[in-house]
Amino acid sequence: MKATWILPDGREIAAEVPAGRNLMEAALAANVPGVVGECGGSLSCATCHVHVAEDWFAATGTAGDFEEAMLDVSDTPRADTSRLSCQIVMAPGLDGIVLRVPQA
Amino acid sequence: MSIWHPDDDGHADLSSHDTFTAGPPHNTFARLRRDDPLHWSDWSGGKGFWSVTRHADILDLNRQTDLLSSARGIRMEDQTYEEYLARRTFQETDPPEHSQTRIKVAKAFSKPVIAGFEGVIRDLCREILDDALAKGRFDATKDIARQLPMRMLGRIIGTPDADLPWLVEKGDALIANTDPDFTDHVLDRMKTDEYRLMPFNSPAGAELYDYAKRLMADKAARGDTDGVLHLILQPGPDGSVISETEFRNFFCLLVAAGNDTTRYSIAAGIHALMHQPGLLDDIRSGAVDETMADEIIRWATPTLYFRRTATRDFDMHGKTVRAGDKVLYWFASANRDEAAFDAPFRVNLGRTPNRHLSFGQGGPHVCLGMWLARLEVRVLFKELAARVQSIEPAGDAQFLRSNFIGGIKTLPVSVTLQ
Repeated sequence: MKATWILPDGREIAAEVPAGRNLMEAALAANVPGVVGECGGSLSCATCHVHVAEDWFAATGTAGDFEEAMLDVSDTPRADTSRLSCQIVMAPGLDGIVLRVPQA
Repeated sequence: MSIWHPDDDGHADLSSHDTFTAGPPHNTFARLRRDDPLHWSDWSGGKGFWSVTRHADILDLNRQTDLLSSARGIRMEDQTYEEYLARRTFQETDPPEHSQTRIKVAKAFSKPVIAGFEGVIRDLCREILDDALAKGRFDATKDIARQLPMRMLGRIIGTPDADLPWLVEKGDALIANTDPDFTDHVLDRMKTDEYRLMPFNSPAGAELYDYAKRLMADKAARGDTDGVLHLILQPGPDGSVISETEFRNFFCLLVAAGNDTTRYSIAAGIHALMHQPGLLDDIRSGAVDETMADEIIRWATPTLYFRRTATRDFDMHGKTVRAGDKVLYWFASANRDEAAFDAPFRVNLGRTPNRHLSFGQGGPHVCLGMWLARLEVRVLFKELAARVQSIEPAGDAQFLRSNFIGGIKTLPVSVTLQ
């Protein structure tokens, strides 16, 4: 399955992501700059913050309470489609998903 | 100097605080990473422990909080359940309990809020450097590295500057509780268990708590609701409120943990400037502004390890860890792992990416103060490089007597100004 990150300068990075892997880990494996994931996906930081492309946002589900709280203290600007990418797990319904990496 | 040319015989006793007075035993860590990546040590002071020394293994284990728990203590020493409850902070809890507390203070330490302190930090750096550099020869740990985090602590918790030396002295007595230069109650030489329910098994914990109570009463009287101490007293998302004991321990954690780690990062960075030519030029070039702080903090690795406790049996590297066993994540070793870093024994201020583990990255306990630490280190070294032409050793550097916190406690230098 495929995921694509659009960087602040417009450059795109696409990667194959196996089902079950979260998109923070996938971004680290693909060396996507701006996605760091300092807490390993345990909702203690917001360094894997992304803006999900509008068309894909509904398919990613909704953020839980702790994710909401961490999005509020993110180091990059929050948008309507903000998610912590560690909380989005690749699945058949997300094949082809597009994420924007916010400008630091 | 042992950081650059480690001289341990490859079989150093990791349980001994004295081992680390010569700097971290990097030959031993290198051997363990290569030959024995899950290593058992017996310990005369308590139950033995496992050491995990590879970068990849620590990353893999650190996120598995259901398997390796923080809720039995995070240092090597054994605690009874009574001692654990009396002394714990949210560092010694697991998700989701950990998250309930952390979320209350996350904003105060978030990158955008911390970025607002840059001007304050720069002004403090200039004051500190004005005083220190004018001396020509001085102890860079005492006169520079200790000063900046101490004065920032006052800004973060809202204490008068006049109280700071006392607060930091008490914080040092807690976290450097194995070094006789910092405490009269050296942990592994104590004859009493009188303080076993106090933070860090130290009477300084009680004194800090009395101070915190007076501080909060003064703030309440003034109607002052700013700052992180007020935030921690608010109910969490589930309505839970921190207990008096937990508040005491949180205050001690702020005073202790927020201070010495940044201090020893700065000290290790200044030490590096003296031993690896070209670093001052790199800083002055402006090309490493975004990366230099992380490399200095990787190089320093002030928190040498954190401990976890296995919640069930598991196999790793052909050995079996039993439920209840203590497992140490040696960040000091992971940050010199040849499999994770090119030339790990060189300081490369432009290192990108820099997936060091000095902040305990990869798990829920990743350092709350990491943005503040990075900002303090970056601004301090920018200001320092702009003023000095060269820095030379003016005596032997001395390391803290601790296998938990690694730091240069005395760093005699002489400077030539630009």
